Amino acid sequence: MKKALILLGCPESPSQTPLALYTAHKLTKIGFEVTVASTPSASKLLEVSDSEGFYVNKKIDLELCLEDLEEKEYDLLVGFVHKDAAVSYFVTFYHILNTRSIAIVFEKDSDLLEKFLNDLKENTDATLISARAYHNPTPLRVKIDKAFKVLED
Amino acid sequence: MSFCLELHLQQSEDYEILISKAGFKEAKKVIENHSPRILYVKPGAKVLGARIIGIPPIPIGIDESQSRITLPYTKPCHGTAVVDLPVEKEEIDKVKAIAVNPRKK
Repeated sequence: MKKALILLGCPESPSQTPLALYTAHKLTKIGFEVTVASTPSASKLLEVSDSEGFYVNKKIDLELCLEDLEEKEYDLLVGFVHKDAAVSYFVTFYHILNTRSIAIVFEKDSDLLEKFLNDLKENTDATLISARAYHNPTPLRVKIDKAFKVLED
Repeated sequence: MSFCLELHLQQSEDYEILISKAGFKEAKKVIENHSPRILYVKPGAKVLGARIIGIPPIPIGIDESQSRITLPYTKPCHGTAVVDLPVEKEEIDKVKAIAVNPRKK
């Protein structure tokens, strides 16, 4: 079974947790074994939102995951990027894993969104899914559906 | 015993924070302007026992006369800080060994 790693950023954006659950379920249905790497606070949000572990059953602490990460350990990296630090984390995971990668980039400030996208374009070959979003996950959900169609083929 | 950056920052007071809660590019400029010598490493390279997080090339500041290292330190919710701290000479040698494009300022 192919393995996917979902990388979560700081959980302060309300869109991240529902989209993470949605993405994890989507990837599981496609046939990936999904692991979510996150901070303890982002992990708590997942635990409460998905208390039976229906959508996410493999979680790992972000720092522990990074410490032991090896090239090609996962077949797919999906990262949520909505802060400068999340760009740095995604680029770092991308360079260590050297695997197919998708960045889900969102910010309510259009200048910051453009900056994040430029940094990712300059430093990775990842597929970029982006929208001006903070509270409303729908624009990103639609784009995730479209991008993940390629994974189903 | 190998150096552990996380533990050192928790248990020591001999380090200096040059900037905190910054963007990576801002932190990078601080390092490049601070240290007499800059070595660059790849994202994920291990320095002082910790993976270095950032956008390549990532600067590590070296001051051999004072035996100090200056490096970026990123956390998901707090952005990037720049930490300057004293190290053993062998830790500087380890950075030299993994540097991808060493150059003097």
